[in-house]
Amino acid sequence: MKIILVGNPNVGKSIVFSYLTGYSAISSNYPGTTVDILKGKTKFGSFECEIIDIPGCYSLEGESVAEKVASEIINSKNYDFIFNVVDSNNLERNLFLTLELMELKKPMIIIMTKADIARNKGIDIDYKKLSEILNIKIFPVIATVGVGFDNIKNQIEDIFSSKKILENSLNIPKDSLEKWKLIGDISRKVQKIVHKHPSILEELEEITTTPSTAIPFAFLVVFISFYLIRFIGESLIAYFLDPLFNNYYMPLVERFSSYFKDAFLKNIIFSNNINPLEGFSVLTTGLYIPFVVVLPYVFSFYFVLTILEDIGYLPRLAIILDRFSHKIGLHGYGTIPMIMGMGCKVPGIFSLRILETEREKIIAASLLFLISPCVPQTAMIFSLFAKYPFIYMFLLFAYIVLVGIIASFVLNRILKGDSSDLFIEIPPYHMPVFKNIFLKIKVRITQFILEAVPLVIFGIFIINILSILNIVDFLSKIFSKLSIIFSLPSKTASIFMIGFLKKDVAISLLIPFNLSLKEILVSSFFLVTYLPCLASIFVLLKELGKKTTIFVIFFNLFISLFFTKIFWIILSFII
Amino acid sequence: MAVKLIDSNFGKLRIIKIIGNKSLVKKLFSLGIYEGGEIEKKFSYKKGPVIVKVLNSTVALGKNMAEKIIVEEEK
Ligand SMILES: Nc1nc2c(ncn2[C@@H]2O[C@H](COP(=O)(O)OP(=O)(O)OP(=O)(O)O)[C@@H](O)[C@H]2O)c(=O)[nH]1
Ligand SMILES: [Mg+2]
Repeated sequence: MKIILVGNPNVGKSIVFSYLTGYSAISSNYPGTTVDILKGKTKFGSFECEIIDIPGCYSLEGESVAEKVASEIINSKNYDFIFNVVDSNNLERNLFLTLELMELKKPMIIIMTKADIARNKGIDIDYKKLSEILNIKIFPVIATVGVGFDNIKNQIEDIFSSKKILENSLNIPKDSLEKWKLIGDISRKVQKIVHKHPSILEELEEITTTPSTAIPFAFLVVFISFYLIRFIGESLIAYFLDPLFNNYYMPLVERFSSYFKDAFLKNIIFSNNINPLEGFSVLTTGLYIPFVVVLPYVFSFYFVLTILEDIGYLPRLAIILDRFSHKIGLHGYGTIPMIMGMGCKVPGIFSLRILETEREKIIAASLLFLISPCVPQTAMIFSLFAKYPFIYMFLLFAYIVLVGIIASFVLNRILKGDSSDLFIEIPPYHMPVFKNIFLKIKVRITQFILEAVPLVIFGIFIINILSILNIVDFLSKIFSKLSIIFSLPSKTASIFMIGFLKKDVAISLLIPFNLSLKEILVSSFFLVTYLPCLASIFVLLKELGKKTTIFVIFFNLFISLFFTKIFWIILSFII
Repeated sequence: MAVKLIDSNFGKLRIIKIIGNKSLVKKLFSLGIYEGGEIEKKFSYKKGPVIVKVLNSTVALGKNMAEKIIVEEEK
């Protein structure tokens, strides 16, 4: 039995999916969270079921890639059953899609989410009557806490067995305008709305959308977010992870290494440098970087991002940034991939699917790589600059942002066409649910550990081999001329060679070279901007194709080299 | 009096005309914004976006879209 979960964006499909299958699909309070299909298996009684979570859509003729993915699946009719997920707070708007789905003549049930929020808002829906009118079984649920799913599980077997295709007692008009009229009639019969006092969340809504207060508020939110991310990350390192590593783990490693005779292997695996960032061996630096330096920031970043996502703040930020975004060829929602990209580029690239035109995707992809170093890179930069006054790190980030903006100005000029227009639904604020936040952080951290840790270790292994084989010196010689032209320290050439493998490792490699502050600033800038990491190149290829990927890579490399030189010149005046 | 959505006053409005290509009209349609329908203008930034309430949801429309929607104030 193949079941698809269909509904408007942000109604709760992914969270319903997680409940039904036990998988953890990412769900957030903004339209466009799911941009790809996700499959999961479950059993309802004797029925083996495959459940498919798809992106949200408002009708069967969507425009963006994500919506097209959805309508393709729905129109293919290559499934046995539809679970239409409907937001109880938006009955009328949701029914438009429901009516379109009914025209497909596939067996279907309706799952009505957010029954809790609707009740608080004074929206009263007569589910029984609605079910009779549509002749479809309706199951109200509170998806965040899992209330109502037992009903589905208990009754679904019978519904499957009968497998009747609903005889529409309802005459669904072909014409869209007539559909809206019909929806109006239906909702008058089944829905009563009592006016209630605005809750705190609704007052927050006023403050964060009225232009005069929204902009200062946004500054405040961004400032507090960055402060929190640093505070949580730094505290975790200073009071917990670093002591743990140095006081408990390192002695263990030392003891263990004393049994080891082979000096060659010993150096690669254990090293004898007490500073875990300088030894560059697999079991010291190889674990110190991912677990002590980077992981705390991955945690603190996703903690803050998840709260902002679940409250529903991101679309508001997009609105405020809309006007500025148009200057660089995007609309406000183009900022969502940038925000995702601050965590990791890969989900950032996937969320490019919420943009509609090729042009916007190219600009956004290029900007994504230039402007927002991912958490591991940022964390390494924090630790690299820890011993210098804060202003220098700030200078580095400010320069990165500035260059990103200049680059997208240029792209906006040279690419044909115009930016399209912002058009999003702004979800009401939700109280974040602890369980969902915890689950999402867990998914994201697990992903980081599974993907990043082996790569860090592998990267460090390769560097050891390279330096043992004297390839490092060899590369430095070859690149020394080039380095001089672009004002990069030539001894670091080997780092740039492997940098795209794992950027955070590459940045940490700057530590043992005893570079001057100026050299560190320039090298960090170059490392952050010059090439996307390997993983993101693959995803970009898959998402945007060969031509665009190559264009973005070369464009960024050019920008990066050019502005590295400029940076050096500017710094020569300052430092 | 008929004005562009971007220039209109706040409050309840009736949509008189949507100027624009088929795909724009369709897109707006599926969210409940159509000729003859009703929306409520809530907030607006000088050069867009305009934030309107339609049915029970809040929607943000960019400047260009807001210029293509012609509305009339409800009495
Ligand atoms: N209070 C409450 N919140 C809910 C309920 N169902 C979903 N939500 C919240 O609604 C938001 C959207 O949920 P998602 O599962 O991401 O929605 P989706 O339909 O998959 O969204 P897209 O993938 O963007 O189309 C999340 O913040 C959920 O926590 C519910 O029954 N009660
Ligand atoms: Mg989803």
